[in-house]
Formats: sequence, structure tokens, C-alpha cells
Amino acid sequence: MFDRRKFLTTVALGTASAAFLSACGQSSSAGQTGSAENPVTINYTWWGNDDRAERTRKAIALFESKNPDVKVNGNFTDFAGYWQKRATEAAGGGLPDVMQWDLSYLRDYGQRNQLLDLSTVKINTDAFDKSLLPSGQIRGKTYGIPTSTNAFAVYYDPAKLQSMGVAEPDGQWTYKEFNAFMLEVGQKGNGALYGGTDYTGVWWMYNIWLRQNNIQAFTDDGKLGFTKDDLKKWWNTTAELRGTPALVPEERVTQLAPKSAMGSNVTASEVTWDNFMAGYLGDSGAKELKLVPVPSDDPDNLGLFLKPSMLMVASAKTKYKDAAARFIDFMVNDPEVGQIFKTSRGVPASKTQRDGTTFEGTDKLVVDYEKSIEKYLKDAPEPPIVGFGTLEASFKRVSSELNYGKLTLDGAADAWFKEAEDLIKQNA
Amino acid sequence: MTQSPTLSRRSSSSASPQPRKSRRRGADARAGYTFLLPWLLGFIALTVGPMISSLYLSFTNYNLFEAPKWIGLDNYTTLLQDERFLQSVGVTLNYVIFGTPLKLAAALAIAMLLNSKRKGQGFYRSAFYAPSLIGASVSIAIVWKAMFGDSGPVDQGLSFFGINLGGWVGNPSMTMPMMILLTVWQFGAPMVIFLAGLKQIPADLYEAASMDGAGPVRKFLNITWPMLSPVIFFNLLMETIHAFQIFASAYIISNGEGGPAGSTLFYTLYLYLRGFSDFRMGYASAMAWLLVVVVGIITLIFFKTSKSWVHYSGDSK
Repeated sequence: MFDRRKFLTTVALGTASAAFLSACGQSSSAGQTGSAENPVTINYTWWGNDDRAERTRKAIALFESKNPDVKVNGNFTDFAGYWQKRATEAAGGGLPDVMQWDLSYLRDYGQRNQLLDLSTVKINTDAFDKSLLPSGQIRGKTYGIPTSTNAFAVYYDPAKLQSMGVAEPDGQWTYKEFNAFMLEVGQKGNGALYGGTDYTGVWWMYNIWLRQNNIQAFTDDGKLGFTKDDLKKWWNTTAELRGTPALVPEERVTQLAPKSAMGSNVTASEVTWDNFMAGYLGDSGAKELKLVPVPSDDPDNLGLFLKPSMLMVASAKTKYKDAAARFIDFMVNDPEVGQIFKTSRGVPASKTQRDGTTFEGTDKLVVDYEKSIEKYLKDAPEPPIVGFGTLEASFKRVSSELNYGKLTLDGAADAWFKEAEDLIKQNA
Repeated sequence: MTQSPTLSRRSSSSASPQPRKSRRRGADARAGYTFLLPWLLGFIALTVGPMISSLYLSFTNYNLFEAPKWIGLDNYTTLLQDERFLQSVGVTLNYVIFGTPLKLAAALAIAMLLNSKRKGQGFYRSAFYAPSLIGASVSIAIVWKAMFGDSGPVDQGLSFFGINLGGWVGNPSMTMPMMILLTVWQFGAPMVIFLAGLKQIPADLYEAASMDGAGPVRKFLNITWPMLSPVIFFNLLMETIHAFQIFASAYIISNGEGGPAGSTLFYTLYLYLRGFSDFRMGYASAMAWLLVVVVGIITLIFFKTSKSWVHYSGDSK
């Protein structure tokens, strides 16, 4: 029925080619359109949801009406896919002309000459707080201009607290008090509502805790500035809460992803960046959410800082430096752009843009929060080390495994340190 | 792509005896190669070329941005100490060892049901094949995720019978069964091949066996299995190789992270993360080549053992 020789040849070849496929990667290219008549076209890409896409489209239309010689071709994806796409583009030498950027990846691309030094083009930074600009600079070169700032905060839902008879926090609390608050919410929430998520899994909250203890996260020569014991101590902060109703179980967090537990009305509080307000309100449908400062055991040192919530960068290889610079300048300084985005990118970093924007309702809450913590603010962090995006992701992952009970405290600290040290050695 | 060795063998082995005939054969071969050329060029440029460069990159520290630097076997030795790598190997082997036989069993069982003469078989055949048509798509992985989530249809259906597992997606010990169910459900491709094989088994063999008083089990073991063994062998090989390459569904169900707690960190997913999230292309290339070699070895083992259980027509046993 089956001739052996023919059959085996077919199978062997099929097998071989199937196996070969596993060895090949992906390639991609970015369309670079030249100037057909007068107007040049620049490519702009950003991450975000539909809401941001709509606002960005409006901003682009405004820019094009003011700059008839430039057309902007916009494109967006979600955050995780965004970086994988940039990596392939960078490898192929085809990064878009202008890009929205995150502090975590500034060194990866800036230090490797993928980004344009923006001090060589005309962008007005007079209206920026001088302590903020260094976070876009590496070794004397300016790779990114902050569009806006955000700060860490504890969100809570006042309506949910009231219905359970839990007092609203005033934001002057120690970790112990914060934990007690979450436990009270969880116990009264009766399985339907948890106190919050395990905040020790969030890298930036750890960074703040380190600052509260006067420890630098990274040394100036790009090494870890803290010890394994520091990390263990941090992860131990919520040890007694794990498995209690204070914290939403990790199973739930995984299933809700990419939505947050707070946005899904599963928790009454959440520790994260203040510009998530609009997203949380939209996801949860809550009437109101409030912001208070993060806990600290030292009431005079909250470890808080303003971080550029996002930066604008240009590709080092862009053919349209002038058009790119004008677009960046417009996006960070123009008051009308501020009106379009409000606080959905964070609080506008440029004073011109900030003053030209009217903040109402929830947008006002975010702006007021950043004003209220002004006296506690310290310098913005330097761009983190090369490969920071990986470290941040593995921080979250290892802490999640700790919550699943797959790792012990020692095992988790060992695992993260091994990965971090390996990565630092790799990029040295 | 199956044509080239046949052509070359014909042109080389039968060249000597008659020169005139050989000239014609030579022209045939030339024509053959000419027709083959478009594919051959693509194969060299898009498959062989990248493979060679990936082999080279696997000995370097290439990071996408800077020129690769030769580091010898470093990537390969690091692999063996990388706990996440070892985890990904474990997860993948688990999937291959349990998922593949289950899928083939399902495919064979359905193929045998569809092989009998019954009204509306054409409809059933299409219906059973349908999952495979859409199965590899992104949308199915998304649907799967929703079905097995908290209070999804599966959770609700099971709790109706008093089984309360909660959502499978967030539970590290339930994600593997979920992934295996997904692959078993896509049994269509091997099923069609089984069906074709079953149709070729002469009906008189079964008739003779019935005459001798053989029951259905006996017929399956003594007729269907040996007669079908080349097809079983083929399906086993292809599905095993396929299983090693699982990527898209795991990527989508775990949001590209391989979670929860690393339970869906399949080999190719980890490879992808290493290459495109961590920019360690050299490392990822080493992983890819290790996979090629391991799959090659497993294929070889399959071929060696096949002699004892695969029967071809014309064989004396």
C-alpha cells in the first residue's frame, strides 16, 4: 500500500523542513515615505488604548493644520507588543521617525545610538522644570523630552469603603497601618472585595521604599545598589497578608490581566501611578476614586518623585529631523494638545501646556494630588540601567511566583538576583 | 520540495548505459531544475541563509543593536544553568508527551467512526475537521482563555456537577491540561490522514477475519493497526514535531509571559522572550539550534524504532 522508500523520503523531508522552521525568526520593516510634492511624511508610533488613539488623532490633525508642510502617519499597539516591535525595527534600521517612549527603555536604545540627540535640534524646553529634564538625558545627550509627569499614589474607592463602614485613609500612614487597612477591607468585603493587590510585586513601589530607607536602587556604574536582604525584607512586608482576604489571590490577578484588579472592582485599593486614574474610572465604572500618598515608616521621607510618565524621542536615522523636532515640540508644549490629552498621559510637564489646560473633575484630582505632595518630592530618577525593562518584568514575575507559593522568600530573592546579575554582566 | 532528491537520483543513477537516453534525461533534469528554481531560490534566501546566520549568531552575544561578538560556546553552557530554560524544557516535554498521544488517539477514534458507511458522513467529516481550520488562529486562543476563565462556561459547567476548580487560566496546575485540551480538540489534520489510510485497507481482510470469528478488538489489533502503521508513524512524527513548536496559543493565553508561575513557559515562547524582549538574540539562536538538534535526534530515534512496528506493503514481515 505504501512504498517504503517514497514514503520515508517524504517524511524525512517534511520533518527536516518543519524542524528548520523552528530556527528562523521574524523580520519586519517600517515604511519610510519620502516627500512626493511639498509635504514630507513622518511616522509616529505610540502605545495605549483606544482612548489615547482618539486623542492622538486629534492632536495630529491639529499639528497638520498648523504645519501644512508635514504629514504625520500615526500607528499604535499595546505596551508589551510595542517593545518587541521596536526591537525588530531597530535591528532592521527602520525605527519610526518619532516615538512615544518609556524611561525603562531609554538606555537600551539611547546608549546604543538608536535615538536622536534632541539637543542638536530645535525643541523649546524653557517651560520645563529643570529637575525633570535629566531623566531624558544620558551622558550629556538628550534622548527624550518628557511629555508629562506622574507620581506614585494609593487609589481607593470612597463609595466602597463607605458601604462597608471603613474609614477613609488620610495618606499619613506606615506600612503596618496600610496593611491593617487592607485587611479590614478584605475581612468586611467577605470574599467579594479584597483590600488590594500585593504591592511588593511592583518594582517602582520597591524603588520608593528603598528611597525611604536612603538606598539607591542602582549605583552610578550600573550595578545593584541594594542587597538580597533588602529585597527579602521588602517582600516580607506583606508576608502576613498573603493568603488572607487583604490581598486578592494571584489566580484572580492572572485571570483579570491585562485589566487591573481595581479596574475590575475586585479590590478597594491599588498602589500605582496617578495617571492611571482615567483608565481605572473607565474600567471600573466607579463614580469617584481618590488618591493619597504611599505609606512610609518615616513621615518626613515618603520617597516620592515625579517621573516622566512618557517621553518623546526621535530615531537617530530619521531623514526629517526638522519635522520630527517640530512635532515633538508641538506635542510637549502646545496648550491645545494639553486640552486634548488632559491628564491621560500624566500631568503635562511643560508649564506652558499645563497652564493652558483646564483641569476639571478627575483630571483635577490628579493635578491636585501632585501639588499636594510637592514638599515631599525628590529628584526624578536617572534613566535606569540597560535592560531595565527585563528586570522590571522579572521582578513582577518572581513576586507573582512567591504569591503562588511556588517560591520561598529566599528562593525568590535568589532567583531575581541571579537574573539581575546575569543581565548586568551581559550588558556590561 | 519532495521532488528534488527523486529527480537527482534518477538523473545520476541511470546516466551510464545509453548515452542518447541520458542526454534526454539530462534535458529532463534541466527542465526539472528550472521549474524548481523559484522555490530553490526562496529556500536558499529565506530558509538556508537565515539558518546559517542564526547558527553563527548562536556563538555570539548579538543583541540586535551592536555588532555580534564571538563568545564561543558561552550561550550553550549558560543555557544549562538557566533555571527558566530548564523549566521551559520541562513544560514543553510535558506537553509533547501527554498532548501528542491523546491527540492522535482522538484523531484515530474519530477517523474510524467516520470511516463506516452511514448517511451524512460528508457533513460529519467537515464538521469534525472544522476546529482544525480555525484552530491555529489567534481568535481561538482568546475564546479558549475566556471559556476556561473564572465563571467561564467550563467552570460553570463543572460546578453544575459539583466540581469546583475555579478558573483554569489563573491556576498553575490547570493550565497544562487546558493547553492539552486545546491541541486535542484540533485533531482534524491527523484525522484526515488516518481516514485516507483507513480507506486503503482492503475490505476483504476484514471479511476474512469476520469469517474466522474475529471480534472488533481483534480486527483492530491484527488488521487496522499493522495496515495503518505507516500512517500512524507519519502522524506521530509530524504531531510530535508540531507539539515542540507550540507558540501562538501559549503566547496569547499567558499574555506573552508564560505565566501563571511559568506553567505555560513553552520552549519557543521563552526563546521569543529572550530574543525580542530581552534582546538576547545570540542566546535565542542557541536555543533554536538546540531545538533543531533535539527534534532531529528524536526523529532519528523514531525511525530506528519504527522498524519493529511499522509495516510497509512489500515488506516480508
